[in-house]
Amino acid sequence: MTAQRRDWLPGYLFISPALLLFLVFVAAPLVGAFGLSLFHWDLLSTPEFAGLDNFRQLVTDEATVRAVINTFVFALSSVVTHIGLGMLLALGVHRTMTRGTKYFVRTAYFFPFLVSWAAVALIWKYVLDPTFGLATHYLQELGLPVTNWLASPTWALPTLIVVDWWHTIGYTFIILLAGLQTVPAQLHEAARVDGANAWWRFWSVTLPVMSPTIFFATVITFIGAFQIFDPMLIMTNGGPDGATRSIVMYTYEKGFQSFEVGYAAALSLVLFGVIMVATGLQFRLSRRWVHQ
Amino acid sequence: MGAPVKGRLLDLVLVLGGLLMIAPLVWLVVTALSQPIDAFQLPPRWIPRPPTLENFQQVPDLIPFARMAWNSLQIAVITTAGSLLTSALAAYAFSRLRFPGRDQIFLVLLAALVVPVQLTVVPVFILMRWLHLVDTSVAIWLPALVNVFGIFFLRQYIASIPRELDEAAIMDGAGHFWILFRVILPLARPGLTALAIFVFEASWNNFFWPYIFLSSPEKMTLPVGLVSLQGAMGGGPAVVLFAAITLVVLPILVLFLIFQRSFIASIASTGLRG
Repeated sequence: MTAQRRDWLPGYLFISPALLLFLVFVAAPLVGAFGLSLFHWDLLSTPEFAGLDNFRQLVTDEATVRAVINTFVFALSSVVTHIGLGMLLALGVHRTMTRGTKYFVRTAYFFPFLVSWAAVALIWKYVLDPTFGLATHYLQELGLPVTNWLASPTWALPTLIVVDWWHTIGYTFIILLAGLQTVPAQLHEAARVDGANAWWRFWSVTLPVMSPTIFFATVITFIGAFQIFDPMLIMTNGGPDGATRSIVMYTYEKGFQSFEVGYAAALSLVLFGVIMVATGLQFRLSRRWVHQ
Repeated sequence: MGAPVKGRLLDLVLVLGGLLMIAPLVWLVVTALSQPIDAFQLPPRWIPRPPTLENFQQVPDLIPFARMAWNSLQIAVITTAGSLLTSALAAYAFSRLRFPGRDQIFLVLLAALVVPVQLTVVPVFILMRWLHLVDTSVAIWLPALVNVFGIFFLRQYIASIPRELDEAAIMDGAGHFWILFRVILPLARPGLTALAIFVFEASWNNFFWPYIFLSSPEKMTLPVGLVSLQGAMGGGPAVVLFAAITLVVLPILVLFLIFQRSFIASIASTGLRG
């Protein structure tokens, strides 16, 4: 009892630096974003109370609707390609392979993840350049048509999805590989003795054991993809014609380029809502397929 | 049996895929090392002849590279050291000390993991402007000193350290500071290392926050500097930009090759994302 009482002071003392910073830089701004969204403000003149004006404008603003759709398209394709291809990669690498090969493959796929988005975006702008780009050249060699990928309203977003895959797959892949390594070999052995073929062992042993890992990777990929911004700003500036404008890209334009701070805050709340709903939905759906 | 052949074929596919993955990075380095006249030729010349450092020498003419590298390093070191300290203190309190509201506060912090930084950036910008901290490095590292993930991660790590060890120290009359720094943290070293590598890498590569808060070239970090270079150059020498990117990317890649084990283990065990 006395020991517990003595813990109070050090307890509060020890959490206070983190908690104080949290209150100032996370909690208060969160409340601030809600507050700001109710005002018209250009950072210079006096803020003007707007009620739900910003939100009304959100619904009718075509650019917002487009940005939300773009973000969803990007996030869904991210998750499908990251988890699907990441799983194939992890399964491939997990198989017995010579040590050298395994080391090379793991390193090669992981490397791009360590390169900052700024560098990735700049490198890929050149890789995709229609006149002297690496990709342009080899795609042409393969007999594919040459397009200015980033300037095409149809191809710009899919191109960014591919670049994002290149940058981030190493992360998903390592997580899934780690999950794969937790699958007990005895389970596989037992299934083999029971006459299960490779496919059946994958469905009945590997997948169920790995489901928490896959679930985690899915949630993280979704949350990350919803916040995508760097490649949009550096590679396409949201264009052409809004084709790659994500919610964050639009928030940035409104908040820091045209200084409609209240509208930007309202937009950021849309992002927050999207993430909360998607995450909540995933947790709910997870009960059906994730084994605890 | 066709199994070994099938296996070797799969190896081949994976290796080819790996080569494809690193091709843009190899192209980057090769181009940066090429004579400007050889660069961006198609088909690409994969071996520069003869390699030259000329492009690297021109980087400082375009951007204050050393200055930006120093800014990046400074911010990354302060962020890493500071956030590890605040996280370790909080993690110790959340896992070892009992005080009213402990679990509730922890839950609130945990919920904040899904709050995207973009949600807080506008209000924080207004706050920083009010404090006259916009366009200073403080605006970058100060908010980064609270790392909710770090707290969560270290709490899990400390929970795996047997309580008997600190109870023995308490018997000997040791204070909580002493226990944390002399007993717990030395034992949590692998966890601290993994977290440090990751926080450092994330800070070194961070683009969004510095891009919004920094505007003077002499205060910019490397990622922001690179992107500003792209705008400033117009039709300027792209090879020099490639040299600059190489200088930014290479240290992280070398660091990775040295600490590969910790790096991979930290991601695998924590799911931390930079």
